[in-house]
Amino acid sequence: MLTSDLIKPRLRMQGSTLSVEMVNEQDPSLQQIAQDVIGLFHRYRDQAQAAWEEAMRAYEGASVDYVLIRGLAKVLADAATFTPLTTPLPPATLREQVFARGPVFGNPDLFHTVTRQEVLQEVADVYGLSTGGLDEMLFADRRASYLLTDAGPAWTPSALLARYNLELARGALYWASHITIEVASNYKDLWKYIKLFKLMFWAEPKQGGGYRIDLDGPISPFVSSTLRYGRQFAAFLPALFLCERWQMRAYVHPPQGRGAMLYQLDHTSSLHSHFKRSGEFDSRLEADFASEFEQKIGSKRGHWHLTRESEVLLLGNTVMVPDFVLIDTEDENRRIMIELVGFWHPQYLRRKVEKVRAANCAHLLLLVYEGLNITEEAFQDTAGEVIFFKQKPVLKEVMRTVEEMAERVYGPRRKPERSSNKRRTSKRSRVRTYLLGPE
Amino acid sequence: MVSRKESLDAAMPMQATVFFQGGTLVLQHSDDIDDVPVPFRFVKSRWRCEAYHYHEVLPWMQEQGIHNAIPRWQRLGLTLHDTRELHDYQIQALDAWKQASGRGSVVLPTGAGKSLLATHAILHVNSSAVIIVPTMSLVYQWYALLTNAFQTEIGVYYSGEKRVLPLTVTTYHSAGDLIAEYGNTFKLLICDEEHHLPAKTWGEAALMAPAPFRLGLTATYPEEHEQIGERWRLDELIGPIVYTQRLETLVGKQLAAYRTQRVRVDLTHEERASYDAAYAIYTGFVRERGLRQKHGAGWLRALMRLSTSDPQARRAWLARRQLLNLLESCQGKLAALETLLHEHAGERILVFTESNAVAYTIARKYLVPVISHETGVAERKQILDAFQAGQYQVIVTSKVLNEGVDVPEAKVAIVLGGGASKREYLQRLGRILRKKEPLQAVLIEVLVRNTIEEGKVQRRNVPRENC
Repeated sequence: MLTSDLIKPRLRMQGSTLSVEMVNEQDPSLQQIAQDVIGLFHRYRDQAQAAWEEAMRAYEGASVDYVLIRGLAKVLADAATFTPLTTPLPPATLREQVFARGPVFGNPDLFHTVTRQEVLQEVADVYGLSTGGLDEMLFADRRASYLLTDAGPAWTPSALLARYNLELARGALYWASHITIEVASNYKDLWKYIKLFKLMFWAEPKQGGGYRIDLDGPISPFVSSTLRYGRQFAAFLPALFLCERWQMRAYVHPPQGRGAMLYQLDHTSSLHSHFKRSGEFDSRLEADFASEFEQKIGSKRGHWHLTRESEVLLLGNTVMVPDFVLIDTEDENRRIMIELVGFWHPQYLRRKVEKVRAANCAHLLLLVYEGLNITEEAFQDTAGEVIFFKQKPVLKEVMRTVEEMAERVYGPRRKPERSSNKRRTSKRSRVRTYLLGPE
Repeated sequence: MVSRKESLDAAMPMQATVFFQGGTLVLQHSDDIDDVPVPFRFVKSRWRCEAYHYHEVLPWMQEQGIHNAIPRWQRLGLTLHDTRELHDYQIQALDAWKQASGRGSVVLPTGAGKSLLATHAILHVNSSAVIIVPTMSLVYQWYALLTNAFQTEIGVYYSGEKRVLPLTVTTYHSAGDLIAEYGNTFKLLICDEEHHLPAKTWGEAALMAPAPFRLGLTATYPEEHEQIGERWRLDELIGPIVYTQRLETLVGKQLAAYRTQRVRVDLTHEERASYDAAYAIYTGFVRERGLRQKHGAGWLRALMRLSTSDPQARRAWLARRQLLNLLESCQGKLAALETLLHEHAGERILVFTESNAVAYTIARKYLVPVISHETGVAERKQILDAFQAGQYQVIVTSKVLNEGVDVPEAKVAIVLGGGASKREYLQRLGRILRKKEPLQAVLIEVLVRNTIEEGKVQRRNVPRENC
């Protein structure tokens, strides 16, 4: 992430609205700068960090674009690896030896009978080094002498400018006290990253789908507008760009501003995430279940449609994202959630059982691997159903249970009239359910 | 085989529990509890309060049979190796603090041995403790003091190094992160220079720490009106004032006689030419735009802001940088330094530079140890100890030795960076003044003739009669 001195000059304030001046990724002159910086960086491979920084100062010259240039350089350096020189002894030990003989000068005198060169020679001999080598190793542990050993990913100028823009957006959040997001997809990754960056959230389902999520940290409710979590918000931000439809409102207190200002972003932004979207399936078991369903039932047989992690169970300060949701295509209100509990670490299982209990959710079906040595008692007071399986869940049994559960939770299923248009059918049946009302 | 089922059940207590989370205390499984007392607030589906209320809610938790999952602190088998005896007033202060159940502030004048008192407080609690201080120099100072006092590894937690141990020293700046993560591992919280606590973010760490034992140290306890910045007050966060001793003459500071000396050097022809050119660009711009008149004390920041859009401002800014570099590393100064090192051979010398780069250049050239902000606490201690013991003759340092570090063996201070403010200058003087014996000490300032450096010296206006 960029340092705050590289962010501040690009913050713009208007009324109580904050924005960040981003760069045009397609601007040829900026692309040229990005190209230059990338080229320069590669030329400094295997050289000291200080030499690279020196080169950047020279490149920047008297340009007023130095904030941009330094920002690009920072993005490159952050993604690269600088490694210290290997020394036979810790540099601090070498220093101790050498400095105990100082101060020394180029020519000896009455008080300093040995020269610099002689001191280096003397210590170098002890460790079997050359004097030049010793001279180099003296401060090998300073960041400035680390060598650029891996220049990181192969950046194109546009990719570098795009990433720079993302870093600017992140930077605006350094001074954020809390943020609110509204989002309608990809919950799983979102929650993964909220947890990863140790943020606290409060989520509420929104009318018309999706969730409204307030993000802050544990101490926030007690210390109004604390900026303690700004760095964590910034670290988290790219997770939002993994979602399809979202908007964010951040309450930011920029150092040069007066009080809270609003910084907004949404899915129309051209920024993109460098975070990895998690794979479609967490385990073989889940993938197998989905493909078996598709093969044996699919959209042709039966009336259930299998969706993947499309719903969230809000459980106070945590959430559960069930692996699958079966939606009745003839009445979309009829939904059964399925959670596969395969072979997991006991710790993980413990949390899962706790979550299932807390969820107290009658339309949750658990498919539990029997080899887990976890008995039915563990799931005794869960509201939903549990099916144990030995190698893989038996689809027939699963679907039978799903039908039973649906009937128990939603009442008897109404046989649909035949219709060529499935969508309309399902819409009509939803209306009918509404008219019938709950029992 | 251990039954997984058993461990599973054991790990799912539905018993009401309070645990520590990121600086707050969280009550879990509270369904059977009717009245949750006041510091707790129902936030985001859980009862929570700031962790500093721990001592206050503890009796209630015990009464209700609530499981206390907060403390993770450990007992230590510390022994004190510091043989210095406490003065009467230190004993009184310590007793008063113990009487107050180990919560409260001790107000003692500077130099009265507050940190020695603190080591005895740590010994008394004999459990893991965290010490929060305002500056890096004080981190180092406490690190050295505690290392010597308890002959054990001491942790430090600040931007440069993060090593958490049962006794850890941190800065107010970094303490929030430390406490959020490790707050419940410390039974004793010590806030040095606690008058900083009312400041906005600086109070947060104390607020987030559950430590039931708390000691505040200061020479200047903030007045009522100085505490209204945030909603917390010192006596809430730390406890009441348990002891005050305001006598300024408590401990007579033995100051050595000292003198200052100025060495004036010239720029070479080439240096002079670039200096004059840079000076013209820089001051020309500042004058032409009337920056000093328009922005007062903030004119330099205004120049920096302008330099991101105005090419002329950028040139002026660069000219200023070039000029300062030139003044610090001009040939005359380095030659003068070499002469002075020769002249004072055999004496303990501190060399102050303005920038890191020059400090490291000098260290390499003369093979002398350097202390900069990059130097870790352990090496810093090693260098200063070796200097005190006479193994090192010279230490070169950039701005970092400015505050609160005693180097009593130093006899000569050579100041190469001319940019020092009046405060820095006095602190540098202070370095060589805190003497054990009345050695005659000297502070030598090397200045470049006919440059802005001479102006700075006059503006500083240190009373001559002291010199």
